[in-house]
Amino acid sequence: MKKIYFSIFLVYINFLVAISQTTPAPKQQGEIVITGANIHVGNGQLISNGILAFTNGKISYVGTDISKVSANARRIDAKDKEIYPGFIALGSSLGLNEIEQVKATIDESELGAMNANVRSIIAYNTDSRVQNTLRTNGVMMAEVAPKGAVISGQSSFVQLDAWNWEDASLYSDIAIHLTWPSPYRYSGWWAEPGSSSTNDKYEKDVARIKNFFDEAFAYSKNPPAMDKNLRYEAMLDIWSGKKKLIIHASLAKAIISAIGFAKNYGITPIIAEAEDAWRISDFIKENKVSILLGESHNLPLREDDDTDQIYKNAKLLYDAGILYAMKVNGFWQQRNLPFQVGQTVAYGVPKEAAIASITANVAKIFDLNAIGTLEVNKDATFLYQVGMLWT
Amino acid sequence: MVEIMNKKRFITCHSYVQSEINMLMHVADKFNFKVNTFTHILEGFKVADKMKKHGAGASSFSDWWAYKFEVYDAIPYNGAILHEQGIVTAYNSDDAEMARRLNQEAAKAVKYGNVPEEEALKFVTLNPAKLLHIDDRVGSIKIGKDADLVLWNEHPLSVYASAEMTFVDGIKFFDKKEDLVLRDNIRAERNRLIQKLISLKKSGEKTQPYISTPKRFYHCDTVGEEGEEHHSH
Repeated sequence: MKKIYFSIFLVYINFLVAISQTTPAPKQQGEIVITGANIHVGNGQLISNGILAFTNGKISYVGTDISKVSANARRIDAKDKEIYPGFIALGSSLGLNEIEQVKATIDESELGAMNANVRSIIAYNTDSRVQNTLRTNGVMMAEVAPKGAVISGQSSFVQLDAWNWEDASLYSDIAIHLTWPSPYRYSGWWAEPGSSSTNDKYEKDVARIKNFFDEAFAYSKNPPAMDKNLRYEAMLDIWSGKKKLIIHASLAKAIISAIGFAKNYGITPIIAEAEDAWRISDFIKENKVSILLGESHNLPLREDDDTDQIYKNAKLLYDAGILYAMKVNGFWQQRNLPFQVGQTVAYGVPKEAAIASITANVAKIFDLNAIGTLEVNKDATFLYQVGMLWT
Repeated sequence: MVEIMNKKRFITCHSYVQSEINMLMHVADKFNFKVNTFTHILEGFKVADKMKKHGAGASSFSDWWAYKFEVYDAIPYNGAILHEQGIVTAYNSDDAEMARRLNQEAAKAVKYGNVPEEEALKFVTLNPAKLLHIDDRVGSIKIGKDADLVLWNEHPLSVYASAEMTFVDGIKFFDKKEDLVLRDNIRAERNRLIQKLISLKKSGEKTQPYISTPKRFYHCDTVGEEGEEHHSH
């Protein structure tokens, strides 16, 4: 009698523990076929009453022909439901920060200035409480990116269902983040701004970056076998384009300088934030630069900007034919990513193109072949639900 | 203090965790006064029944969390749960950026908790009016109330919604069509000033480095028209 009660007790305890854990799901067993759903492929295509089949975690069929899928597969009827590719949260501190004002839980930046060798992926906490809150809103992957310093370090793309950073990582160390100096200096804070003025350190700060790039470039021509310089080693793949260079710049002046700077080394950078990109869209297009459009839930940059300037930035880039992706600041805030993207539809971006800005476009910008769209041989990472993501 | 005891002035209390919320209600009950509104109140869902009994209202963030330890347990269903308990529930912003999209925050009460749409809209209209004791004048469209109105192009709880016109005390303050014309005027004026500066510089006039004068926004610690202590949350 006692034995039975003890076993029931153990099962109960295990059950409790299981609820609070973010235990990753086991590998896919057998083929699964979902039928009847509206499939948003991610690249602009919408398949009504579609069929999505996947085996071993990869998509095996997307279309409308039921004869193309195995009759033995487990079937899920998703009539009138919507399927989206998993959304990708760019430039996030997910897994690096846990509670903003508890310093011991903040691990998004390192000391130093030119931290090209800092790899944020090794600090990624797979068991942060935050991942599950993002997944329920369709955010299934994230770029874990370092902040701070001048060159912050390297970012990686993760999926949000893993035991450790190595299992989580889809693409490790694929981009280096650089923050371009601001031509203007701002003081105070949002509610009590101090005066703003020209940044008289601008030229010096730009020269410092140029100095580092020159040295790293020279190093790359003849890297030593011994006594390696870790910072310059980290930059080796930048020159070939194998690693992407993301330059954070907001004002038109800064964006132009940043692009010109990178081009001197034969690099086409990705520009992040880019609130002023719409002002210089021709220049950006000519230089074939992609944009990671910064947080849209902000006030306009300038007092005389249109009140909805920041909301319509995406539409302006879309109209200019610039390849762009949307991003949101922070970590817990990433669950609002789909709503900010939905808002761009209010300003004229077509629905499927808006979805692309956090799926297919990200894959295109970063050359991520296995994710971003629901196509054959890509990862079966998707969200399915009743109703549109936003209304 | 006397005004509070005489119910002429009301208490709005910045609060997060169940421990402090419950403590203050006990203190208030002991000394026979009421807490009118708990703001932020992110653990309100843990003591909602007690809040209802005390008679407090709630003004919460829709879905903020993980910015301090006190809000590590916060859930976006907080508003819906408080509302279901019969508490007058509002959603607030914390800054000018969110204040201009409170309609979207209200929509989150529908998404997180299935609050009926008309009730969710009250989170940013009638309920805050009630909490501020000005619901005889504002908060809903009713004969006798101030003509403070918004004409939306879509259902206001939709992410597609934007304001076509706004009226305050019956005066049209904003008109989207007129605003577009004003924007053209601003652009033209900006260009005129830039061209003038360029030509003055070319003709040898003295130049000075750019310095701008700051413009203040209100926040919850603003006293009078001068910002004072640094705002902390």
